Amino acid sequence: MSNYPEVVAKIVNDYLERVKLQLRLVSVQEQVEFLREIDSHLLEAYQQTPGEDDVARILEVLRKFGEPAEVVADRLPGAMVRSGTRHNLPLYIVGGIFIALFGLPLGSAGAGVLVGLLAALAGFLAAYYAVAGSLLLVGAVTMLVGLARILLPQLFDRLVALGYIQMGGPVGEFLDNFPPFYQGLLMILFASTFAAGGLGMLWLGRHMLRGLRFLFSLTFDWMRRVAQSARRSLLHGNRETPERSRASLVRP
Amino acid sequence: MGVLYGARHYGYSLVRVLSESSSISLKEGTIYPILARLDRDGLVHAEWVESDQGPPRKYYALTPSGRQLFDALSQELDVLVSLVQQKGKGADQPAPAGKKLVVRKG
Repeated sequence: MSNYPEVVAKIVNDYLERVKLQLRLVSVQEQVEFLREIDSHLLEAYQQTPGEDDVARILEVLRKFGEPAEVVADRLPGAMVRSGTRHNLPLYIVGGIFIALFGLPLGSAGAGVLVGLLAALAGFLAAYYAVAGSLLLVGAVTMLVGLARILLPQLFDRLVALGYIQMGGPVGEFLDNFPPFYQGLLMILFASTFAAGGLGMLWLGRHMLRGLRFLFSLTFDWMRRVAQSARRSLLHGNRETPERSRASLVRP
Repeated sequence: MGVLYGARHYGYSLVRVLSESSSISLKEGTIYPILARLDRDGLVHAEWVESDQGPPRKYYALTPSGRQLFDALSQELDVLVSLVQQKGKGADQPAPAGKKLVVRKG
């Protein structure tokens, strides 16, 4: 028989279920005892909380009691340590040998491939930004040279004579067809194209980073879920099902 | 531990005493991990007692080693308080003779 009105009983049951979920790794006996204690606390607190609205009363009680994660925080580490020693040790030893023989080498290979992929992606990213930076640098230098050609033609000629500026090959021959002013203008045009290319690559890189981050988080999330389910199945392999003993506690 | 020193309490009553007798503001549920830790360390003893007002209650009481630890901690706190008070008065006096401030590890 429940001591709560029906709707309140549902809320309390839901809360206790959430606490129970946090206690997955604790032994069944501890789970039952802990939940009994909390149940007793909640009932007394509910009875002591004044108010007309039953739901508001129980919500106030639960608010004061705290989130399930806070309540069970200290229960978990010790229980995790104990849970490994209590159940069917030989099976764990056999499992450990199998993992050592087959799981670790395969896991190492998988990890190696993953690390390689990540390194390749990181290398690609570095190269991409290096090209973008180079384009920007070339653009800036060409812009300066072009401005010098227009505004300070004597300085430009001197730099050419000293060998600091070398305009050989087809580009040099092409520019020689124009007077100095137009040469400068053409250089500025080239510089603007390079700079625009560099800036465009930086802009694209931002989206690419987002995409890569999404890819990484997807991969890591998947790996985490696989590891968690493997660990859970290992830990819960031989354990008595918590539902059986919990049934006596949770109200209908 | 101080509250349990005088009398045994169950979780809810402990929370009530703490919230009424001090300015400590805590989420009520957090008292249980603390009690569990004290129980695990053998500093409190817990037992279920039937209640005519509702479900059974789990009562906690300090064990002898819990009392011992509480006494030791109280002494350390006294020393600490006296040191702070001395500092507050601006006196460059040495710490009280015969007492050492123990720094616990772990």
